[in-house]
Amino acid sequence: MQKASRLKRELQMLSTEPPPGITCWQTEERVDDLRAQIVGGTGTPYEGGLFLLEIKVPERYPFEPPKMRFLTPVYHPNIDNSGRICHDALKLPPKGAWKPSLNISTVLTSIQLLMAEPNPDDPLMADISSEFKYNKPLFTEKARKWTQEHAVQKNMGVVEANKENTPDQKASSRKREAFGTQQEAEESAKKTCV
Amino acid sequence: MEGSDSLEQNGSDQPESQRRRQLDRLDREEAFYQFVNNLSDEDYRLMRDNNLLGTPGEVTEDELFSRLQQIKDGPEQQNNSTSAPSTESGEDPVEPPENSEDPANGDSLLDWLNTVRRTGNTTRTGHRGNQSWRAVSQTNPNSGDFRFSLEISVNRNLAEQQAAAEGEQESPQESPQESPEGQEVVASAEPQVASAEPQVASAEPQVASAEPQVASAEPEVENAEPEVENAEPELENAEPQVPMETEVVEEPVVEELAVTVEPEPEPELEEVVSQEILAEPPSSPAALPVQPPLSPSPRRGQRRARSRSPEPRRTRARTARSRSPLNLDQLDGLPNPRHAHSSQGLNSATFAPPVSQVEGSSRTRQHVLSRQSIADSDVQPSRASAETVPEAQNVGSQEGEAAGGEGAAAGRRPPTIMLDLQVRRVRPGEYRQRDSIASRTRSRSQNSNNTFLYESERGGFRRTFSRSERAGVRTYVSTIRIPIRRISDAGLGEATSMALQSMIRQIMTGFGELGYLMDSDSDSSDSNRGANTPADLAEALNNPDAATPAAAPVADVDEPPLATGVRARTAEADVDEGLATAPPPPGGRARPRPPISLEEPSSLPFLRLAHFFLLNDDDEDQPQGLTKEQIDNLSMRNFGETDALKTCSVCITEYAEGNKLRKLPCSHEYHVHCIDRWLSENSTCPICRRAVLISANRESVV
Repeated sequence: MQKASRLKRELQMLSTEPPPGITCWQTEERVDDLRAQIVGGTGTPYEGGLFLLEIKVPERYPFEPPKMRFLTPVYHPNIDNSGRICHDALKLPPKGAWKPSLNISTVLTSIQLLMAEPNPDDPLMADISSEFKYNKPLFTEKARKWTQEHAVQKNMGVVEANKENTPDQKASSRKREAFGTQQEAEESAKKTCV
Repeated sequence: MEGSDSLEQNGSDQPESQRRRQLDRLDREEAFYQFVNNLSDEDYRLMRDNNLLGTPGEVTEDELFSRLQQIKDGPEQQNNSTSAPSTESGEDPVEPPENSEDPANGDSLLDWLNTVRRTGNTTRTGHRGNQSWRAVSQTNPNSGDFRFSLEISVNRNLAEQQAAAEGEQESPQESPQESPEGQEVVASAEPQVASAEPQVASAEPQVASAEPQVASAEPEVENAEPEVENAEPELENAEPQVPMETEVVEEPVVEELAVTVEPEPEPELEEVVSQEILAEPPSSPAALPVQPPLSPSPRRGQRRARSRSPEPRRTRARTARSRSPLNLDQLDGLPNPRHAHSSQGLNSATFAPPVSQVEGSSRTRQHVLSRQSIADSDVQPSRASAETVPEAQNVGSQEGEAAGGEGAAAGRRPPTIMLDLQVRRVRPGEYRQRDSIASRTRSRSQNSNNTFLYESERGGFRRTFSRSERAGVRTYVSTIRIPIRRISDAGLGEATSMALQSMIRQIMTGFGELGYLMDSDSDSSDSNRGANTPADLAEALNNPDAATPAAAPVADVDEPPLATGVRARTAEADVDEGLATAPPPPGGRARPRPPISLEEPSSLPFLRLAHFFLLNDDDEDQPQGLTKEQIDNLSMRNFGETDALKTCSVCITEYAEGNKLRKLPCSHEYHVHCIDRWLSENSTCPICRRAVLISANRESVV
């Protein structure tokens, strides 16, 4: 119900007191299509990167969780090629943990945490997950490389974010090729994380 | 998102207008809250329950107000329109099943189940893997009766079955291609198994007696049934190769599971669920009497006149019968008056009976036992072969019974599983009579040859399983009783699907067990009897007659002329039996029987069915909300200035003077309209996630 008024308030909060490392804004003319940027945490392979997310606020918000996905490619066990995030706060109970007292800000924060601490036991990307578990150095290196490649921007700035679509597509297609061979594994993996 | 899309369509170009629209929307939302806050409790509830509140921001206050007026003015009208005239025929008043027929895939079966109560009568079919299903539901809005039948055929004869069964409405989608293999498999397998034995084909001889009661008691039930029945797959080509001499009889296994809710004295809503699952092997090649395919016509139960008529309700004529030449001859010769009928009834042989009798008179606990003890009569001595027709007369009325006729030896491989679930809501004062009926009665004669009783109580569900074997027909009865309280706890009273689901889950679990028992039974019996089985069988067949010679005639007398469909069926069953048994020498011992081949995985469709449900259930894991009553039971108050906690965490808005707040058992408070909406789909506190339901339940139950 309370979608519009709630969103309004949330956006206010996000602009007045944003959580550290997170910015969130609304795309030009729509309240329910938001963008957010998460700064890669220090000490993580994502350090130095800026990760853009797309946030769609469903009509039934806050009774349904917002839909979030990364627009920036992220090498992460719980984030798939298309940027989808396996995170319980993004799902309704009983499978998920969304509740109306959460909000966009808190969910973004928890995604930030998830980036710092992947959950390989509930993987969306099986291969990355096993890599994370069994060959962490390799994982770290790849993740760092991806961060350099996709998430570090030469010209920083919020405005740049809008242009991201183009490079982003290239990036993700590249990514897809890279994972082409493991497609099947992914499929099964996805099922575990739904 | 949908909403946003629509907003966006014109909005992207004109941010200005977009903005204005948003502002308007905000205003309307404010107005909405204002409006809601000003409503009296009663009005609020009224509007909420009728879904008149809509989404804040979309409806203006004026509109809301006019809606409120409307609903207040014309509540009666509304009610009238929604409730169809209740007639005896439960389903008639409601829309025809075809309406919502939807050829969707099987995966959404449960989904559909969930909506079924809302949608009234529906029929759906689909298939998944090697199973195809067809589900029919009927709802009688007046009485709250709900009936759901599901047929699942596994792996074979899909095409035929489909054709026969669904001829009229159903879409042919059911993958004709699958059938061929299935059949072949069957065909090949059977000859060996079945070969020597004279088993009784008819699964339910037992049917007959119960009826009279049923008839009187509840018209509704019966009507409903017809649909269920059609499930039988006909094997047309199935076993051409079977040599004439050997009679191959497949034993039809009919299993019924009756789940009955025990009516408790308390004047609550009671719901009765009876479920039957019939598994039927494809038509038995040998057994059948002539009948050319019966008129395929009126099989759809609903439309058709009620079940009683002997006419072929099930169209699925079994072609198989026509196949066996042996029988034909015999049939012709039959002295039995019944045979005439039988011809009509035949088709239904195995299955239908259970259905029709769904509702019996009140059942008592002991039913199973009593049933067995009752001696029955046998039919037609005339039949040389000593077939016995089990006529059950348990006046006492038992609860559900399952009859699984099973040729002792042959592998049972039921290609079709029928599940018939009936939920009846009994309201306190009214429907008392029904109430009694709520239980199902099914009687069948058993000469209590071998009976086996198993009872267990688990998780509040009392399960009784009994097996008896007589005349080569094994009967399995599995009854699951669910105390009413559980059901109301589960919220069935509220017509929720979750309750149904969990019930089904339980039931299916029961079935898994049943299947297991059956297997083990057969094993044990095999081991016990070893090679003699055939002899036993034969004896068994003969025994009844011998033992109770007197009985037979009586039985005949008892049977009224085939007044009812059931009757017809019985007759048919007889015929089948007769045919099957005829060949064996009267002495019984005559034929050595090949070692019994245990049923292989074939008996597992139950389990598969269970999985089917369980899997779906998993997929379907949806949040379960509270019922309106449960929500209304939560305390409510008006916000006062002095309160410490000032913000509703659902809408992130400070409470204003006069706001209505609802307090959950965990002490967290929210705007009434905020929390109600959340709780209608979820059962936990939005802040602490404590289950609201538990305490709510406790209150309501105690």
